[in-house]
Amino acid sequence: MTDPRSVGSAALPRLVGARVARREDPRLLTGQGSYVDDHRPARLLYAAFLRSPHAHARIVSIDASAALALSGVTAVLTGEEIARASKPVRAASKTPAVKVTSFPPLALGKVRHVGEAVAMVAAESRYVAEDAAERIVVEYAPLPVVTDMEGALEAASPLVHEEAGTNLLVAREFARGDVDAALASAAVVVRERFRFHRHTAICMENRGCLAEYATGSGTLTLRSSAQCPGIVRDVLSDLLDLPENRIRVVAEDVGGGFGAKASLYPEEIATCVMARRLGRPVKWIGDRREDLLATSHAWDEIIEAELGLDRDGAIVGLRALVTADVGAYSIYPWTAAIEPVQTISFLPGPYRVPTYRGRTRGVATCKTPLGPYRGVGRPPAVFVIEGLMDRAARRLGLDPTEIRLRNFIRDEDFPYKSPSGIVWDRSSFTGSLLRAREALGYDAVRAEQTQARAAGRWLGIGVASYVELTGIGSAIPVSPGMPIATGTEAATIRFDPAGKVTAVFGVASHGQGLETTLAQIVADEVGVPIEDIRVVHGDTALSPYGTGTYASRSLVLAGGAAIMAGRAVREKMLVIAGHLLEADPADLVPADGRLAVRGMPDRSVTVREIARAAYTGAKQLPKGLEPGLEATRFYDPYYGTASNATHVAVVEVDRATCQVSVLRYLVVEDCGRMVNPLIVDGQVHGGVAQGLGAALLEEIVHDDHGQLLSGTLMDYVVPSACEVPWMEVHHLETPSPVTLGGFRGMGEGGTIGAPAAIANAVADALAPLGVEVAELPATPERIFRLVARATR
Amino acid sequence: MKPPKFEYHAPRTVDEALALLGRYGGDAKVLAGGQSLMPLLNFRLARPAALVDLNRIPSLAFIEESGGGVRLGAMTRQRTIEFSPVIAQRVPLLKEATRWVGHLPIRTRGTVGGSIAHADPSAEYPAVLTALEGEVVARGAKGERVIKAADLFQTYLTTNLTPDEILTEVRLPAMAAGTGYALEEFARRHGDFAIIGIAAVVVRDGQRCKTARLATAGAGPVPVRLRAAEEILERDGLGEAAIDAAARKATELVDPDSDIHGSADYRRHLTGVLTKRALVRAMGVARG
Amino acid sequence: MMTVRLKVNGVAHEGRCEPRKLLVDFIREDLGLTGTHVGCEHGICGACTIMVNGESARSCIMLAVQADGAELMTVEGLMQDGKLHPLQEAFREHHGLQCGFCTPGMLMTALDFLRTNPSPSDGEIREGISAVLCRCTGYQGIVNAVRAAAATLRGGR
Ligand SMILES: Cc1cc2nc3c(=O)[nH]c(=O)nc-3n(C[C@H](O)[C@H](O)[C@H](O)COP(=O)(O)OP(=O)(O)OC[C@H]3O[C@@H](n4cnc5c(N)ncnc54)[C@H](O)[C@@H]3O)c2cc1C
Ligand code: FES
Ligand code: FES
Repeated sequence: MTDPRSVGSAALPRLVGARVARREDPRLLTGQGSYVDDHRPARLLYAAFLRSPHAHARIVSIDASAALALSGVTAVLTGEEIARASKPVRAASKTPAVKVTSFPPLALGKVRHVGEAVAMVAAESRYVAEDAAERIVVEYAPLPVVTDMEGALEAASPLVHEEAGTNLLVAREFARGDVDAALASAAVVVRERFRFHRHTAICMENRGCLAEYATGSGTLTLRSSAQCPGIVRDVLSDLLDLPENRIRVVAEDVGGGFGAKASLYPEEIATCVMARRLGRPVKWIGDRREDLLATSHAWDEIIEAELGLDRDGAIVGLRALVTADVGAYSIYPWTAAIEPVQTISFLPGPYRVPTYRGRTRGVATCKTPLGPYRGVGRPPAVFVIEGLMDRAARRLGLDPTEIRLRNFIRDEDFPYKSPSGIVWDRSSFTGSLLRAREALGYDAVRAEQTQARAAGRWLGIGVASYVELTGIGSAIPVSPGMPIATGTEAATIRFDPAGKVTAVFGVASHGQGLETTLAQIVADEVGVPIEDIRVVHGDTALSPYGTGTYASRSLVLAGGAAIMAGRAVREKMLVIAGHLLEADPADLVPADGRLAVRGMPDRSVTVREIARAAYTGAKQLPKGLEPGLEATRFYDPYYGTASNATHVAVVEVDRATCQVSVLRYLVVEDCGRMVNPLIVDGQVHGGVAQGLGAALLEEIVHDDHGQLLSGTLMDYVVPSACEVPWMEVHHLETPSPVTLGGFRGMGEGGTIGAPAAIANAVADALAPLGVEVAELPATPERIFRLVARATR
Repeated sequence: MKPPKFEYHAPRTVDEALALLGRYGGDAKVLAGGQSLMPLLNFRLARPAALVDLNRIPSLAFIEESGGGVRLGAMTRQRTIEFSPVIAQRVPLLKEATRWVGHLPIRTRGTVGGSIAHADPSAEYPAVLTALEGEVVARGAKGERVIKAADLFQTYLTTNLTPDEILTEVRLPAMAAGTGYALEEFARRHGDFAIIGIAAVVVRDGQRCKTARLATAGAGPVPVRLRAAEEILERDGLGEAAIDAAARKATELVDPDSDIHGSADYRRHLTGVLTKRALVRAMGVARG
Repeated sequence: MMTVRLKVNGVAHEGRCEPRKLLVDFIREDLGLTGTHVGCEHGICGACTIMVNGESARSCIMLAVQADGAELMTVEGLMQDGKLHPLQEAFREHHGLQCGFCTPGMLMTALDFLRTNPSPSDGEIREGISAVLCRCTGYQGIVNAVRAAAATLRGGR
């Protein structure tokens, strides 16, 4: 093959699809990143929060005098004071399924979970701020604590939010057909009560923010470790009663987000209020204890589900009840509905499910609020449906891959409307499973398992196939009924007169490598070398309207916008070049970064000359053509697109210690057209590692008083390199028929498939004992108990 | 998570350090590697009036062979132990245990004296000290005393050192050539403190077991010497049945507590599992 | 307040701080070297790992006053003559970083690890880098990068 660059008249090589090394790396590798905590403006004050030691208590009084008396302390803010400067957050919802409740930035009247912010101190250093916070005297009158989600639904239960009149904040149902009749006449019904315990994201960078209020111009600048600067800007405008054009939210380098930094947090509001009040910059950098207490948690669901099948293993019906412990507050903008509704929406998976009834309940308790986290609802949903499929396969004597192949939505079924109303576009459900079987050497591994079992070893193979909705457009809310629109993103592509490109986006990369992948797309569309492109993101003052990076949307939405804006700019370049060369733009071809008249390589102009002409005007431009060379385009994929994958885990359970080791891990994923395989692999690896943590290691544990028992990184066990296996990642590239560029989102998938695949593998390993895995994480302790019960 | 205020002293000699401890009358804390004390300070779970930093006392960092044993200055770093030829040759169990202590950057700072004085029941060094029947030397205002391992550990994070005493030296008997040894440990994540750890030492004489030593980490508030299990081996030798019996016995000898990483039942079960594994591996290493 | 004199990346610095000031805060705030990160302040995550007198150590569980007279190296000192260190090159080549937050600590840890073990197996690499938690990469790119850097370093630059 010839290298396109070596051919005189050819275009630059296409970058979409290439393993381009990341453009953000040089600064991050040399310690030159720009995270929130790296900023230290003059006259900076440092903030610390006093947090509630009680899970549920009335605040009787707060006395901050001793704190204020401490040298170096500038101010203390309490719930009552902040209520005068900011409205409480109310994650409104358009659906009656959600009861709207208030989330005050600092506790007002009562505290509802351990770690809730009660007061804020601003001081000359974080050290002094912490000294001062300790000296604030709060008198609490303890209230009965609500920690058990099912108990919280009983009539006698104390209420977390009196204004709601109930702890049931979310109730929703999806139904298709007569599931009761279908299950009554099914040949086989498998049922289980599944439990997926509480989890949290653990971004290596804790949350933090830095607010500066310019009193002269009345403008507020908030640097925040946020995934969604646009959303934060919009809501701050409302809460603080400042117009949006006077609020700038900046998220430069962010040390991981995984959904947990995609919500508005009380500390952001309080920091803005403090900065505005004092007229000095104020910075709050959360520590790890605060992160574990006050960054949103995930999952924490009990899912009772029944799956009916006919004699051939075809699904006839699925019935489920999801109960989620949504914690103390409804998080903005997603509301308390995001996790439980997402779980019930995606429960049917990639299968043809003719009848369905899924009910879901989100229950308030005195714990940290639940929020979005990588996969949102789908890791539990996939754990459940894939667990049921394996149980059914065992009952019917079918191979787990065979039962899936019999039930997948087939190629001829697309577009397929799921029982919860989601429409799946053309995907590779069957293809990914077949490819996974082949890549694993499935039959050989099964044979190995037979031998291992004969030798008394507990070896298991687990398969999980899933489909997720990504790149969601304006027709579907990311979370049901939520108050904001997230269906569009924009790109501005701008040439400067020297021929270099600045591409500005409203998304906010925090590890996904969007500075690279979006530059690849722009390079291809505009026809300039990637070195000449600078991607700017995560700054509401610089970018066209956008919301941020979450829900596997950025590459699809911002990538689509980049294509549109790139094409618009390119068109104009051709017009200008045609004018300069006195040729028809249609006759122009790219040549070594220039545009030349077809067949006449000597008659050409450089990109730089075109750009200069665009800003020079006069005779350089065709009559009537507006000067300048830039375009802003908005993209709305309307529905969004599907991404799917099959994960396979091969595990061994140590018979003596009950420890699970993952011996092999294989992923066949389909994210449509890949922009950068290096980055796709990295996203899958990271997602699987988090899913593995969820399956085996990580658990947020509270005691009956709502005290957090997993409050350090010693006790909340995030996997290290020794616990994560080597991962084999294979790609299918089924271009999405419904998105520009054919891209599908893929940031979350790894975490969606891994818990189910690992749980199924553990269950398969223990199958000779007749043991099922219905509870995650499958810690050695839990497996020990399962085994003990089975062998007793 | 910033430490509360304290005064700070970095004495050059043990005498100076002792004088400082005396001056604060129990309100000062000794700072060694800081790998346990600093996290406690950052969480504000420890609030000493002053820190007496031993890191600038050169006389506390040494490894010396003497008589039938090895003497380690309290401030000897875990990393130094890991790469010490003397330790590898004379007390290989300590070297093996060291690989289980946190991670290399932790061992750069962490000290043998700190690990033992801290008396975390899940830590490896206290188990090794117990299994090898080592001793520590403590100095205080009233002079020096030698404390046997069996007498040192009182309960969680508590030794019988008084607040004005400094642990200056750790003494371990050399392991005779051919001694079998192993440290088996179970933790949920590599480098974490043990849920259960077992240190095993066996001296073989043909099929007989001249001496067996077993000590636990994580199986109770202090390291537990599994004497009754050792006796089974010393009586019945190192055959499979004897090892099984010893492992079974071990589960009866411990009284672990439950926490979020493991219940008492599970820890007891692991005590048996790891005792067996440690003995089997120690046997494999043993000659004689 | 106490005086701290030390060398960081070959440059001498002097500062004054309270005894309780953590070394990592001194490096970041007083010296303005923000490449070293803070992730947990209790010694677990490794984001703050730097070289102290040639050996890797956690700067969140060391006091600044303890570093008086020491020679430190931080991620900012890894580049030589304007060229990326082979570890940095390999991290880029093998996608050993995503958000970059663990990266400085990971690089310092890998540097020390490869000095003690220049020809590690993959298992040993995993054990070595298990000192630092990374939430983004699943470690695969990091293992690949450290393996590649080890080969480069063995072969001389
Ligand atoms: C991430 C991480 C993982 C770890 N994993 C393990 C592990 O798996 N196993 C393990 O055993 N340890 C582990 N540790 C702890 C580490 O080994 C510590 O080094 C050790 O527990 C304490 O030693 P130190 O020298 O750091 O003591 P310091 O932290 O300085 O002191 C600990 C306590 O002992 C007292 N003390 C110290 N030295 C003396 C002395 N000479 N005389 C009197 N009192 C003294 C101090 O006052 C303090 O109360 C880990 C630490 C971290 C941060
Ligand atoms: S910040 Fe130092 S180890 Fe986490
Ligand atoms: S790259 Fe984000 S934590 Fe490692």
